[in-house]
Amino acid sequence: MSEPTGVETTGRFLVLLEEGRVDEALLALGDIATGAAGGEPAEVYPTLGVAVVSADPSQLADLNNAVESPGPVLVVEPERVVHAIDPVASEATAEPTAVDESVLTWGLQAVAADVSGATGKGIKVAVLDTGFTTQHPDFAGRTITTNSFITGESVEDGHGHGTHCIGTSCGPRKPATGPGYGVAYNAEIFAGKVLSNAGSGSDGGILAGIEWAVNNGCAVISMSLGADVPAGTPYSQIYETVAQRAMARGTLIVAAAGNGSRRPASIAPVGHPARCPSIIAVAAIDVNRAIAFFSAGSVDQIGQVDVCAPGVDVYSSWKLPDQYKRIQGTSMATPHVSGVAALIAEKYNARGFELWARLVLSCRRLPLPSTDVGTGLVQAP
Amino acid sequence: MDKVMVSVADGSLPRILDDLREAGLVVDTVLEALGVVTGTVDVRAIPALRALPGVLDVERQWRVQLPPY
Repeated sequence: MSEPTGVETTGRFLVLLEEGRVDEALLALGDIATGAAGGEPAEVYPTLGVAVVSADPSQLADLNNAVESPGPVLVVEPERVVHAIDPVASEATAEPTAVDESVLTWGLQAVAADVSGATGKGIKVAVLDTGFTTQHPDFAGRTITTNSFITGESVEDGHGHGTHCIGTSCGPRKPATGPGYGVAYNAEIFAGKVLSNAGSGSDGGILAGIEWAVNNGCAVISMSLGADVPAGTPYSQIYETVAQRAMARGTLIVAAAGNGSRRPASIAPVGHPARCPSIIAVAAIDVNRAIAFFSAGSVDQIGQVDVCAPGVDVYSSWKLPDQYKRIQGTSMATPHVSGVAALIAEKYNARGFELWARLVLSCRRLPLPSTDVGTGLVQAP
Repeated sequence: MDKVMVSVADGSLPRILDDLREAGLVVDTVLEALGVVTGTVDVRAIPALRALPGVLDVERQWRVQLPPY
């Protein structure tokens, strides 16, 4: 989902199974499902109605036959390599920045953070990612609570992605050098490490991070992570339940829509977990208010884009010794939205669904399809 | 053994943990605020987990991986 060139595949296949007929479908797949012919046994996701199977070239014909003949095996696709939503390599877009960034990043100006009186004061924002650079000079004196949900690793960000996202959502407006880059610059930061320094994680750690944020009274959880899924894939019922329960306790979850599109050639569906209805799915636009070429879109009835935010050529903090980096992705758009949500939470004392409604309804409408940008560009109150 | 996540009905924690363990779940974390239990289980035991009163959904855990750069 991160590479601008083509889709990475694993050599395995995703098989979409008819709802309620999973066992039957596995029987139909025979040796391919059991691994009896030498491959690995299928990984089965009964709730999703999806199996992941290994098939050598001689078995591909059997797989295709199973799809084409009537029965519970519906679709076969190559399995994609699953990534956290990662910055997209920047050489693909060579748009010069037309906005003066000497004082504030173009992103902060686009979401009207520069003209808002709100600062995020008193609002707790959780960023679940690769951790945080605790010694970053721009965050000296800030109230920062950290926790690592990665066994054997401290919260220290050995990657950089987490530090960048925290910078955009909660970083400073007047750093010692360079432009201000943080939306909710007085918010209380909760940095949860749910992706390792190598960038890997799983739902168990992410859910533990969500629980931690909810128990700490965070108004917003920012998750610049996800996985590409084929169009039509059901959303996770468990994440949906979790998001509803979090919202009932005053915590709004914001997640990156995904970077799988290669516009104009293809539009990828909103990934997991952003495709859950009760999680805000964030698309990315560039400085010209055009949709980013990589930004996922609403391509089926399940995963819908809710809002968009700046996600191209985004300047923010990075791990030391670099300190700063300019990158792009729906990962970078997501913390703009989280920061704006924190400002709205402060100004209106709004939480949960009220916060969702104020955030989504106050967007600036753009002359772009709602399937790409939802209700539009988030705006600070 | 597969890593799974189990969502349970409001108010059923911690009572339901014994039932989950008896059905084969090796409990990793109990997320009370969310009503979710994570752990590992033999894939053949997943239907038994799903059939327990108070269990809403059982799903395999996804993995996410960031490429090096």
